[in-house]
Amino acid sequence: MTDTTVFAAGAPPRAIPRIRLSTVEPWLYLAPALAVVVLWVYVPLLQAFELSFYQWNMLPRATPRFVGLDNYRNLLGLPDMRQAVVNTILYTIGLLPLSVGIPLAVALVTGNLGGPLRNFYRALIFVPMIVAPIVAAILWRWLLNEDHGLVNAWLAGAGLAKVGFLSDPDVALWTLVWITGWKLIGFSTLLFAAADSAINPTYIEAARMDGASGWQIVRDIRLPLMSPTILLITMMTILFGAQWSFVYINALTGGGPLRSTTNVFHVMWEYGFKTMAAGWSTAAGMLVFVVFGLIALGCLALMRRLAVYDE
Amino acid sequence: MTNERRIGRVAAHGVMITLSVLAIFPVYWMIQSSFRAENEIFSGGLFPSAPTFQNYLHVLSAMPILRILGNTVVMAGATTLAQVATGVLAAWALVRWRFPGGALARSLIALSWLVPFQVVMIPNYVLAARLGLLDSVAGLVIPNAAAAFAVLVLYNAMRGFPREVVEAARMDGAGSLRILLEVVLPNLRAPLASVSILCFISAWNEYFWPLLLIRRMENSVVQIGLQFFMTQEGNDWGPLMAAATLASLPILALYLVLQRQVVDSFMKSGIR
Repeated sequence: MTDTTVFAAGAPPRAIPRIRLSTVEPWLYLAPALAVVVLWVYVPLLQAFELSFYQWNMLPRATPRFVGLDNYRNLLGLPDMRQAVVNTILYTIGLLPLSVGIPLAVALVTGNLGGPLRNFYRALIFVPMIVAPIVAAILWRWLLNEDHGLVNAWLAGAGLAKVGFLSDPDVALWTLVWITGWKLIGFSTLLFAAADSAINPTYIEAARMDGASGWQIVRDIRLPLMSPTILLITMMTILFGAQWSFVYINALTGGGPLRSTTNVFHVMWEYGFKTMAAGWSTAAGMLVFVVFGLIALGCLALMRRLAVYDE
Repeated sequence: MTNERRIGRVAAHGVMITLSVLAIFPVYWMIQSSFRAENEIFSGGLFPSAPTFQNYLHVLSAMPILRILGNTVVMAGATTLAQVATGVLAAWALVRWRFPGGALARSLIALSWLVPFQVVMIPNYVLAARLGLLDSVAGLVIPNAAAAFAVLVLYNAMRGFPREVVEAARMDGAGSLRILLEVVLPNLRAPLASVSILCFISAWNEYFWPLLLIRRMENSVVQIGLQFFMTQEGNDWGPLMAAATLASLPILALYLVLQRQVVDSFMKSGIR
């Protein structure tokens, strides 16, 4: 590395052929990946920004009409959008116990579990993570079916009333949160367990010698040293939780009943490919992108300040 | 103390068993439902009393499931190959040289996952339509031919590769491509395998882009085929469970064989 750095930075002009090669060569390697990312992510991002100021029904023959900030103005006044934003927040808040709270508790309780069973548990609790989202949607739709589903049969057996898991507007969103979270619980648990077992055991031994209780060890040693993982998973949940729910919304409820399960990503999809309002969809997209981008920056800054590293 | 420890261990096993059942039972329920005859589908009980393949036969006749599975294997295989290839090349450029623009290129690739797909879906769709990629397997692969996580995982793996070995090969007059192919890659089997597993599983489970692109059942991949089938069959649970089981079979088989590696690869690259 050092030699090429020197060449690139301060070589005299007469070494031109070598400089040329060494400046071009890395770009040749980077080209395929960069081309894909630029062509399918960044250029479309700019185009989406541009489109958000136009009205266009996505038909190839129709020309987009410039409408300035109208799309944004309309969106912000729309009750649909307000509902979607509230729901997006509910999805995120609902997911946190499933992706962070429960897994963290489980990892702490089962930290000293050894033996052959440990790997067996690991193998089982990871399974939901590799189940395809649409398969998860279908199998939960069957388990939670209002008339014949197993869960409602159990509830009836326990003398409880039937629950319309996907048809009751007060329940449906939480059902979708549960399905999204079901895929994550086991995986998160494994991540926390890995972070926990990476802690240097002499710290815990020393604290125990000093007479620290189990809870004190958790609070003062294990949790702080697990904080990078905790913060990372929290951040991923906040940034992507609402996106992970999209499959279930689209496949199971279509945003209903009474729009109770829609979120911003589903609204964008509806505007784009159901109502064919490209301007609205991209305007909503730009708002979402900016808001989540700011959240991401905030999270990263917070992580840098809060995370405790063993050093 | 020992007593307290014993209680702790029992509690730990209890928690793990609960979590395991929660994870595995829904999948089990899907599989056992798929073997139930129509008249038995609504009865409880943990096992079908007379297991039957009739649901599978129904699926085979009602949708081109084998063709769809074939499409998905091709799509996931091609996506994996492309993502690993572009990932290896890009990671090598970033590790081998320090050059103006390198850091920018790396951030551009790394930050691409921050752009939600729904934000760029309309321009992407328009571009795909212009390139004639609608309703085709190629259209599913090309926009996903590079993945930020593949580049980053391989970048980290290559950074750990001893620099002296690369230098020695360079002294011997080997070009950078030859060093990559003959010196570096043979020593990166583990990370390559782990990235490939991840790419394959996430391509297999990909939902949104196929949802936009695919129109016809026979061109679809399993995720969308299942969605079509669900709309078509509604509450015909037996065949639906059989189709879902068939769609999951390749991934579950992969998991049975490579369980350790699959879990490890997911843990190394975080959540996807």
